[in-house]
Amino acid sequence: MPWTAADRSYLDPSVVARLGTLELKARTIVEGFLSGLHRSPFKGFSVEFAEYRQYIPGDDLSTIDWKVYARSDRYFVKKFEEETNLDCHLLLDVSGSMGYGSHHGMSKFEYGACLAASLGYLMNRQRDAVGLTAFDENIVAMLPASSRPGHLRSLLVALERLTTAHQTNVAKPLHQLADTLTKRGLVVVISDLLDNPEEIIRGLKHFQFRGIDVIVFHVLDADELDFPFEHASRFEDLETAEEITAVPGAVREHYLKQIGDLIERYRRELGASGIDYQLLNTKHPLELALLSYLSTRARAL
Amino acid sequence: MLGATVLSFLAPAFLAGALAAAVPLVLHLLKREPEPRIKFAAVTLLKHAPVEHTERRRLRQLLLLALRVTTLVLLALAFARPFFVSGGAAAASGVTVIALDTSYSLSAPGRFERAKQLAKDAVARVASGELVGVVTFADQAQIVARPTGDRVLAASAIDEAVAGFGATRYRSALSASSQALEGRRGTIVIVTDLQENGWDAGDRASVGEQTTIAVVDVGPLPPNLSVAAVRPLPDRVIATIHNGGWESTDARVHLTVDSRPAGDATVSIGPNQSADVAFAGPARGLAAAVSVDDPAGIQADNVRYAVLGAAVIPSVLVVTGSGDLSRDAFYVQHALAAGGGEGVGFQPAGMSAAQLSAAGGDRLATHAAVLLLSTRGLERRGREALAAFVRGGGGLVVAAGPDIDGDVVGDVLGEEANLRVASLPGAKPEARSLAPADVRHPVFQAFAGNAATLGLVKFQNAARISGRACQTLARFTTSDAALIECPAGAGRALVVASDLDNRWNDFPLHATFVPFLHEVVRYVASTRAHTAEFTIGDAPTGQRSPGIVTVEGGTPGAPPQRVAVNVDPREAESSRLSVDDFQSAVTHLKPTGTSEVRVEARQQEDRQHLWQFVLIFMLLTLVIEGFVASRTA
Repeated sequence: MPWTAADRSYLDPSVVARLGTLELKARTIVEGFLSGLHRSPFKGFSVEFAEYRQYIPGDDLSTIDWKVYARSDRYFVKKFEEETNLDCHLLLDVSGSMGYGSHHGMSKFEYGACLAASLGYLMNRQRDAVGLTAFDENIVAMLPASSRPGHLRSLLVALERLTTAHQTNVAKPLHQLADTLTKRGLVVVISDLLDNPEEIIRGLKHFQFRGIDVIVFHVLDADELDFPFEHASRFEDLETAEEITAVPGAVREHYLKQIGDLIERYRRELGASGIDYQLLNTKHPLELALLSYLSTRARAL
Repeated sequence: MLGATVLSFLAPAFLAGALAAAVPLVLHLLKREPEPRIKFAAVTLLKHAPVEHTERRRLRQLLLLALRVTTLVLLALAFARPFFVSGGAAAASGVTVIALDTSYSLSAPGRFERAKQLAKDAVARVASGELVGVVTFADQAQIVARPTGDRVLAASAIDEAVAGFGATRYRSALSASSQALEGRRGTIVIVTDLQENGWDAGDRASVGEQTTIAVVDVGPLPPNLSVAAVRPLPDRVIATIHNGGWESTDARVHLTVDSRPAGDATVSIGPNQSADVAFAGPARGLAAAVSVDDPAGIQADNVRYAVLGAAVIPSVLVVTGSGDLSRDAFYVQHALAAGGGEGVGFQPAGMSAAQLSAAGGDRLATHAAVLLLSTRGLERRGREALAAFVRGGGGLVVAAGPDIDGDVVGDVLGEEANLRVASLPGAKPEARSLAPADVRHPVFQAFAGNAATLGLVKFQNAARISGRACQTLARFTTSDAALIECPAGAGRALVVASDLDNRWNDFPLHATFVPFLHEVVRYVASTRAHTAEFTIGDAPTGQRSPGIVTVEGGTPGAPPQRVAVNVDPREAESSRLSVDDFQSAVTHLKPTGTSEVRVEARQQEDRQHLWQFVLIFMLLTLVIEGFVASRTA
C-alpha cells in the first residue's frame, strides 16, 4: 500500500457531524486527507500540460522540471490535465436500518452519506466520472456518472435530499444496476448489509461478472458491533417495527457471534471474489475509507 | 381429626410480620413499568438468539416475586415459633379425666373392682369426639393415660390399676387431673369412696375455670377391723384395735416377733370404738407385727409393724460437775425418767464435763439431746464436741445456774447465736416468776390453758441471758429473759436462766417441772431422726408397702436405724364427705389452666425446634431468589 493510515490523526466523526453542509464536510475531509499524505495521490495520465507547481515532498521526482530549476534555482513540477478514464458509481443504502445511530455522533446513513460525498468530491477532483444510486428495497434515486465540473454539486444536492424509511433488499437494486452498467468502472457500495448475505454477495458478484470493480463499505454502528446494552429492553426493528424483548446479558454472546460470523462471511467470500471489503465503524474516521478507495482505484487503473 | 397433627404457634403475634410479604407485591405493582424500547437495526440477529421472550420473563418475575414473598412469610413464621400439637391436644372438644382412687380403703374384697367398673362406666359415658385420660391417686397421683380418643386405652389403664397402701389425698388427684387437662375445657370425674380424711385440715384444691368436677361414689366402708397402733414397751406390747363397723365384734389379734408367732389374743370391741390388747412379757427381737383377723374388711390395715429395742426411749445425756446424777442432778434425773415405762419418758445418762472433754463427740451421737448443767472441766475438746453435736442437728438444754460459765456456753453455740450468759453472784436475791412469752410455742403447748401455773415457781436468782439470733420464749416478772431459744447449725439450744436443781429456785418442787423438762427436751431433740415409725408416703426410703426398713442415721456418724412403715390409720376411719362438701373444697381459678398450657406449649416447641427448619428453608429460598434474580436482571 502506498498510503498508510498509521500515526495519522483524522477528523473524528462526531466533529464531522457538526460541520454544516455535506459539501463542507466532504471538502474538509478530502482536503485534510490529501494534504496529510506524503505522496501525491494525483498521478498524470494525460500529456496535456496544465501548469507548474512548486515541488512538495512526496511528488514524483520524475515530474520535476530541471530546466526551470536551472533558471530559477527552485524545484517545480509539471502538472498535466488528467483525463477521465474511470466511471465510479456510489451505491448508498437508504433503508430504515441505516437510520440507526447511537450517541457517537452520526447515524449509519449520515456516515454513509458523508462518505459518499467525500468520495464524490475526491473523484470529481480526480476528474473521474462519479454517479450516485440510492436504494432501499428498490432504487430510490439515481444520478448518472459524470465528470462535469457542476456534477459534484448535483451529487451533493441529491445526497442532501435522501432520507431513510423503507425496508432493505440490497440484492435487487444491485442486480438492477449491474444490468444497466455497460462501461467498466468502479462501484462503491455503502450499506450495513443487514440482509440476506447470500443474495447480497450474489448481487455484488454480478458486478464482478460484468467486469466492474467493487468496493464494499460495510457501515455498522459501534453499538451493533459491541452490543453494550445492560438492561432488559424491547428491541424494535427499524424497518419492520418488530419487537423483541431480550435481556442483553443473556443474548450478548450469541449476538456478537452472529454479527462476527456475518462480518467474517462477507470478508471471506467477498475477498475470495476479488471484491474489496471494508468494515466501517461509525465512530472511526472516514479517511480510512478514502484510503481504501484510493487503493482499489489504483489497482483498477 | 383425632390423631392428626395441627400447627400451632408459641408467639403468634409475630405472624403479623407476614404482612411485610405485601411489600414486594406493592413494589411490584408500583414499579411495574414496561422495559425501555430501543430502536435497533440488527434485530434480525437477535431473532435466533436465546431471546428471553416476554412470557418467559413474566413467569420468571412471578417466580421471583413468589420467592421473595415466601422468604418474608417464612421469616415471620420462624419468629412465631411454630410447633405441631397432636390432634388430641388441639381438639376444640372437651376432655374428660377419670381420677381413680387407689387408696387402701378400697382394698376390701370386691370394692376396688367396683371402683374400676364405675370408672369404666364413666369412660363409656364420655361423648363421642371427646378425649379421655386416666389418673390414679392415693397420697400421690399419676397420669396413667394421657387424654386420647382411644377409649380402649383408657379402659386398659383402669384395668391395670391396683389398690395400694396409700391414704386418700384429693389435692394431689385434682392437681394431676388439671395437668392432664392441659388447660382445656373438660371434666374431672373423681371415682372415690369420699373419705373425709382425703382433705387435710384447711386443705383446698384449685382447677381451671372451665373444668367441671363430677364425683362418682364407690360407697361407704364396709365393717372393718384395723390395727390402729402398736406400742412395744419393755415388758409388753400393746396393740390398739379399732372397730369401724356398726356392731360389736370380737377381734382375734396375733403378735409375731421377727416373723415368729409370739402371742394371740381376743378382744371385744364396741361399734366404732377402739380397744387395747396387751401381749405380756418382754418381746425379744427386732421387729414386731400385730395383725387382726378381718377377711371382709379393708385388708391393708389388718397388720401393723413396730420396731423393738432401746431406741424407743430416747436417751438424754446430762452433763454435770461429777457425772453422778443422783448427787448433782437428782431432780432432773427423776423428772426425765418419769413416764419411761409407758414409752413417753427419757433415758437419762450422766457424764461429767471432764469426761465429755476426754471422750470427744463419739459419745454424743447416740443421745437425742444433751442437758448441760455444769461447765466445770469442760475443755476445748468437749466444747467442740458439743458444738459439732448441736450443729449436726442435736439438741442442747443449758441450765444457766451457778455451775455454768457463760463464756464456755457462748463458745459452744458459736458466733451464729452470739449467746451471752452473765451470772450475777453478788446481786441481791429477788423473787421473781416466769411467764411464757408465747404460749403457742411447742414447749408450752402441753400446758394448754394452764401455762399460768408456771408462775407459781419462785426464782430467787437468775443469770442474765441474751443472744443476737435468739428468741425469747419466757420472761421473768423482772422483764429479764427466762428462757431463750438459739439456733446453731441444724440443731437448736434452749437456755434456762436459772438452775434445775432447787438451788436458785423451787422449780423442781412444782408439778409443772416434769412436763416442762420433758417438753423442753422433746423440743430440742425433735430435729434428730429418732422416729421409729413412718406412714407410707412419709417414709424416708420411699417405701410404698408396710414393713420394717433400715434407714441411715440422721447425723454423720449415726448408725443405721430400723424403722417401721405402716399405713396411715386415718384412712380406715369411716367418716365420709358429701358430694357438696367435696365440691365446696375446690376452687375454680381462671389463670391456672392458661399458664399450664403455655408451659406445655413452650416445652413442645422446645422439643421440636421447627423454627430452625423454617429458617433453613428461608435461607434456601433466599439462595434460589438470588440465583433467579441474577438471571432476570
